Amino acid sequence: MASSSERLKVIRGHLWPHSSSNGDVSSRIRQENSNIVFAECKGDSPKKLTVDESPSSIPKRRQELLKWNGWGYKDSKFIINKHGQVEFTGERYKISGKMMPALRDWMLSNVGVSLEQKSPAQPELTAANIPSPTVNESFVEEVKKLGLTYSEEPHDRLFRAHGHTLHEVFILREGTFKRIPDAVIWPSCHSDCVKIVQLACNYDVVLIPYGGGTSVSSALECPPEENRMIISVDTSQMTRILWIDQQNLLAHCECGIIGQDLERRLEEKGFCTGHEPDSMEFSTIGGWVATRASGMKKNIYGNIEDLVVHIKTVTPRGVVERSCQVPRLSSGPDIHHFILGSEGTLGIVTEVTLKIRPVPPCKKYGSIVFPDFKNGVACLNEVARQRVAPASIRLMDNEQFQFGHALKPEASSIFTSFMEGLKKLYITKIKGFDLHEISVATLLFEGTREEVALQEKRVYEIASKFGGIPGGEENGERGYMLTFVIAYLRDLGFDYFVVAESFETSVPWDRVLDLCRNTKDRIVRECKERGVQFTPYATCRVTQTYDAGACVYFYFGFNYRGLANPVQVYEEIETCAREEILANGGSISHHHGVGKLRKKFLQRTVSEPGVGMLRAVKHYLDPQNIFGNGNLMIE
Amino acid sequence: MSKTEEQSINSWINKDEPKYVSSQSHYKDGFEDILDERRHSSDIKYCIRKRRDVPKYKYCIPREPDDIKRHVLSSDRVQYVIEKLASEKVATLDELRIQSEEILNEMAHKLSVKAVRCFAYLLIKVLKSLFSGIYVNEPGIQMLHKLIHEYPVVLMPTHRSYMDFLLVSYIFYNYDLSLPVIAAAMDFKNMKFFGWLLRSCGAFYIRRSFGSDQLYWAIFTEYVQTQLRNGDSPVEFFVEGTRSRTAKSYTPKIGMLSAAIESYFKAELPDLMIVPISISYDRILEEKLYAYELLGIPKPKESTSGLLKARSILDEDFGSVHLYVCDPISIRDMAVGKVDRVLHALEPRYINNLTDREQMVTKELAYKIVLVQQQHLVISPWSLIAAVLMQSREGISQWQLLKEVEWLKQQVYNLGGYVDWPGNAKVETVIEHYLSLHTNIISLDNTEKIELKLVRPTHIAKPVHDEVMLNAATNLILGSYRNQVLHIFIRVGLVALAVNSCADDTMTMDELFNKYSFLETVLSRDFVFMPGETNKSFEHAVLELSHTGGLVVENDIVQVKKSITKHTTFFSQMFEPFLVGYWVLCHHLLSLPVDVHGRPLPKKPKAIAIDAQKLAIRLLQENVLKHYEVLSLDLLGNGLNALVELGAMYKDKRNEEPWLSPNRVLVSDIAEKIAQYVEVPPVAVTSVLAVSKRIVLTAKL
Ligand SMILES: Cc1cc2nc3c(=O)[nH]c(=O)nc-3n(C[C@H](O)[C@H](O)[C@H](O)COP(=O)(O)OP(=O)(O)OC[C@H]3O[C@@H](n4cnc5c(N)ncnc54)[C@H](O)[C@@H]3O)c2cc1C
Repeated sequence: MASSSERLKVIRGHLWPHSSSNGDVSSRIRQENSNIVFAECKGDSPKKLTVDESPSSIPKRRQELLKWNGWGYKDSKFIINKHGQVEFTGERYKISGKMMPALRDWMLSNVGVSLEQKSPAQPELTAANIPSPTVNESFVEEVKKLGLTYSEEPHDRLFRAHGHTLHEVFILREGTFKRIPDAVIWPSCHSDCVKIVQLACNYDVVLIPYGGGTSVSSALECPPEENRMIISVDTSQMTRILWIDQQNLLAHCECGIIGQDLERRLEEKGFCTGHEPDSMEFSTIGGWVATRASGMKKNIYGNIEDLVVHIKTVTPRGVVERSCQVPRLSSGPDIHHFILGSEGTLGIVTEVTLKIRPVPPCKKYGSIVFPDFKNGVACLNEVARQRVAPASIRLMDNEQFQFGHALKPEASSIFTSFMEGLKKLYITKIKGFDLHEISVATLLFEGTREEVALQEKRVYEIASKFGGIPGGEENGERGYMLTFVIAYLRDLGFDYFVVAESFETSVPWDRVLDLCRNTKDRIVRECKERGVQFTPYATCRVTQTYDAGACVYFYFGFNYRGLANPVQVYEEIETCAREEILANGGSISHHHGVGKLRKKFLQRTVSEPGVGMLRAVKHYLDPQNIFGNGNLMIE
Repeated sequence: MSKTEEQSINSWINKDEPKYVSSQSHYKDGFEDILDERRHSSDIKYCIRKRRDVPKYKYCIPREPDDIKRHVLSSDRVQYVIEKLASEKVATLDELRIQSEEILNEMAHKLSVKAVRCFAYLLIKVLKSLFSGIYVNEPGIQMLHKLIHEYPVVLMPTHRSYMDFLLVSYIFYNYDLSLPVIAAAMDFKNMKFFGWLLRSCGAFYIRRSFGSDQLYWAIFTEYVQTQLRNGDSPVEFFVEGTRSRTAKSYTPKIGMLSAAIESYFKAELPDLMIVPISISYDRILEEKLYAYELLGIPKPKESTSGLLKARSILDEDFGSVHLYVCDPISIRDMAVGKVDRVLHALEPRYINNLTDREQMVTKELAYKIVLVQQQHLVISPWSLIAAVLMQSREGISQWQLLKEVEWLKQQVYNLGGYVDWPGNAKVETVIEHYLSLHTNIISLDNTEKIELKLVRPTHIAKPVHDEVMLNAATNLILGSYRNQVLHIFIRVGLVALAVNSCADDTMTMDELFNKYSFLETVLSRDFVFMPGETNKSFEHAVLELSHTGGLVVENDIVQVKKSITKHTTFFSQMFEPFLVGYWVLCHHLLSLPVDVHGRPLPKKPKAIAIDAQKLAIRLLQENVLKHYEVLSLDLLGNGLNALVELGAMYKDKRNEEPWLSPNRVLVSDIAEKIAQYVEVPPVAVTSVLAVSKRIVLTAKL
């Protein structure tokens, strides 16, 4: 059963306590008569007050906690155990330590996996295989003088050479990057960043901000032709919540806080931001701002651009920020919007003031079963039209529903499997649904108990008009769970010749169905044309609703046995899929951003003068191209 | 020869010569005779049998014909146009809604499998009595089974007979394919029982012209598109727009096609598959009707009683039919790199707005469809015979005919055509068989010579006594069979014309190309050329003609004398009548009296053609013109359109119709050019050119 704060607990449980390597904890002072909580930058004058410091959940040596060549925590992964069953290891997640009996068969029949045919990754690279750094001695000297943590250690550098696109992870498993950062620096506060940027300008060194490393647009990859020294600026030590303002409902935070820490620490004070991207276990505030991230509960809390009230950014020209902290202002084009989505090309986002909300007393999952995807989409459209969308509402197509089922852990009791059987009987025999057509919406309600009850009533009423019937809380919760673990599943696929990736778009309502169908069809067709031997797996879900349209998220994977160049084939097909999306009136991206992966589509999306505008800003703020990661197309 | 008994499939072979009857005759070259089984088992059982594994488009949500109508009326597209027209005060909302319902009721099909079964029963009987075999390429059918499941399908058969869509539906029924819905002309709608029957078999009725009627256009577009989007049934229509009266392909019409593929450009479909179908007849049911229609003698209105009168037809033998299902053309593949569907992202998709490039691709596609259809037509030996007879106006001996047909067959093969020639039969037998199918126009009385017979029309009240007209009708019928091989020879034919008419000993390739390209433009209404590919066709034709014996090119110079061979002579003569016809037309235009501005009064195209025909009749009577085909209003109309295309006609729009008058300078120039290629009647053309030249000269002085 899903309890209201279960989800946060799940995420909280992800953490292993560990001590930060520079764990000098500053003093905490609570100002009694104010709602404001202050924190101080270690490098700053000691007069400033600081409270509520907790060590970063992410160690400087990330590879100690996280996989060096795959997704997530080292201790958590899908394996095929000695019984030939798929099992999820570790203890962090609800499915940890559980076996999923149906998953193996799903893999065998849906992606043509054969358990005898394995494609293990290359062993962990040794220093010898990692390119030696290009070092700008004078710069390094100055950095050391400032006492900043600095590393040229090969694995530190390799870890920050990539995000999590298929392309990048495949290189980790099978090859080497042409170019990786030459060193890593860990600033610990805003003024550290100011100094780093200054030095970089003085010595013509490239800086690439690094947040959680969850980028899925190749935004973190180093341009291979870059000859200057490249520094990865790892924000993982900038994790303080500098103050919380209870009256204005604001929290002023450093950029390196990861999502789960932010929510956990705010919750201790009774607050939340409500920003929950699926990557919230690892992604950071700075990363969210830099990519224009979107959280699943945006219906209540808004996307990142709705959540920020103030952004402080260090650019080669100086610090960009507003002088006030107001709910809205009219001051010409919004400078925040140059920073939001800048993808590390303009500077380092160091501090962000975010809106916060009291933690809602009641959270509840739910699900709706529709006879088919079409009805589901029509229902979501209606829910959006009436503006009664709960915190989250997502709609899985049939393939994804089937997959979700395959992820079900073995029934813990005969009773549950009996109940399952009954449910199935009801859906197929009494309601006459075809299990190969149905589609399932997962819901998350938040608010007071009464509000939630009211929301539920309205949503289920609308659903019934589209033939939807409530499918229970558990199905809903599992749906959300799936999005956390699916990233892990890709690594298992890799071991068996399966490459997989996700991509997303936003699209007007009238085109949602056509876009989903046509894009899946295009994928299958392009696979065939490129000699992919097994039917690819292509599935989608509608993950966000707006008045004017929706966000659609695709998973796509195929078995590449018999192909010499799987990644190239994959990338060609992804390009085709994106072209199809654009042709269907979809966008270049709803929240993943452009990076280097989707650069080729940017000009068509924003027009030539549009790109020119972006370029002009770039040239003014960063004439030397210090932030030379080559994202967007504005270098 | 009696047809009632069990008949051999190779029906030209006498029963008493069993050595000619192949054991597998119902199956040849990938074609299967679907009548074969029907001659050996119960028709009733066949009609009530269960249709198995009928493929359906994988995303289809089953609907009844009435659901489709409801959808159309409530669709955004139709609603949008209704509101737009209402706001323009064309009519009130209510009136427009009622109008829409009426239009849709007139249009919509009522496809029902039950009706189809009844009809099939009737149709089998008719088909068995008309045809000795209906051959279908089986691999094409297999392909369709898969394709219909994967993508929405548009069927585009050649259109030379009313039989065309009956045959396609029947074949789909026979092979357990989902029955197509067919865009049919209004003619049938008004036939009492038959109109209804066809509707139940999937015919939907389209008005012939509704150019600027926005409401009609919207309803029609939505009606077609919704059925493609949902893949309810394959949609069938004719890219030529109407039945070809001449048995050669008409230049394609774009309207219907663009309505269908708009759905792809607007990304409402993952792809759209166009399946051209080539239907070839040994003998066309309507041959006589067509001939008189071409001459301008009105055809009877389609009516059930007319159809019953046509029953006498059932006693005649129409040989066999070949139906070839061509490889599908994917719109997606066609459009790759040519159109940018993103351009439609900024407007609701129900607003009509195809881009220029999309229209261009549609046009290219339309031409491609016709060319693919042509490629897969099966050439009946009779067409070869007709081609030879057309060039032997004085009659020809059996022996000579045999030799010529053999030779021509070889040429067709060389140029990639497929002749339905039985592998193990003697030439005599084959020719005899086909001559016997066409004794209505061929006289075998004279044992020495094979000659043409005059055909008299049966369907018009006032019989035509005029010898010229009767001769012309016979010639047009025969010509229509020759027409069925012309698409194979057209390109080499133009090269041959250029070479044969050359007075010099040599010619450069550039000169040859210029001539070729002039001829292509002039003939572009009578023959189908891919727009913008003149160069390619020319090079190909030169290659073909020099490889198959004809053209001699040395060091990029055409050796004219050496190139005048049997090949080039025969090929150029094939196309002579068309050019002569155009010349007569020009001559007529130049003889029109001029007004004060030196310009003849504008007239409707039809009237011009009829007047030109009168001139041709006179020339035939005076015995200075040999080609009776020139009387064809179709030919004259095509010539006129070519002149329009060449910019040689002034165009006026009156009452939504074009009115034309000649630009005398250009027309006379074209006439002179044409006269360089063919022998024209010794009539003086008023040489406007000479006059104008002089004017230029005086101006200079
Ligand atoms: C499994 C998975 C699920 C995901 N789900 C979502 C989702 O639900 N919603 C969503 O929006 N995204 C999602 N993403 C994408 C990704 O998590 C977001 O783009 C996220 O915002 C990146 O944050 P990060 O801290 O990991 O940044 P990184 O990946 O480290 O960096 C991303 C880009 O931002 C720049 N950058 C990082 N920090 C800063 C800074 N402080 N100042 C300036 N530039 C900076 C980097 O240079 C880089 O260009 C998902 C990714 C994965 C792998």
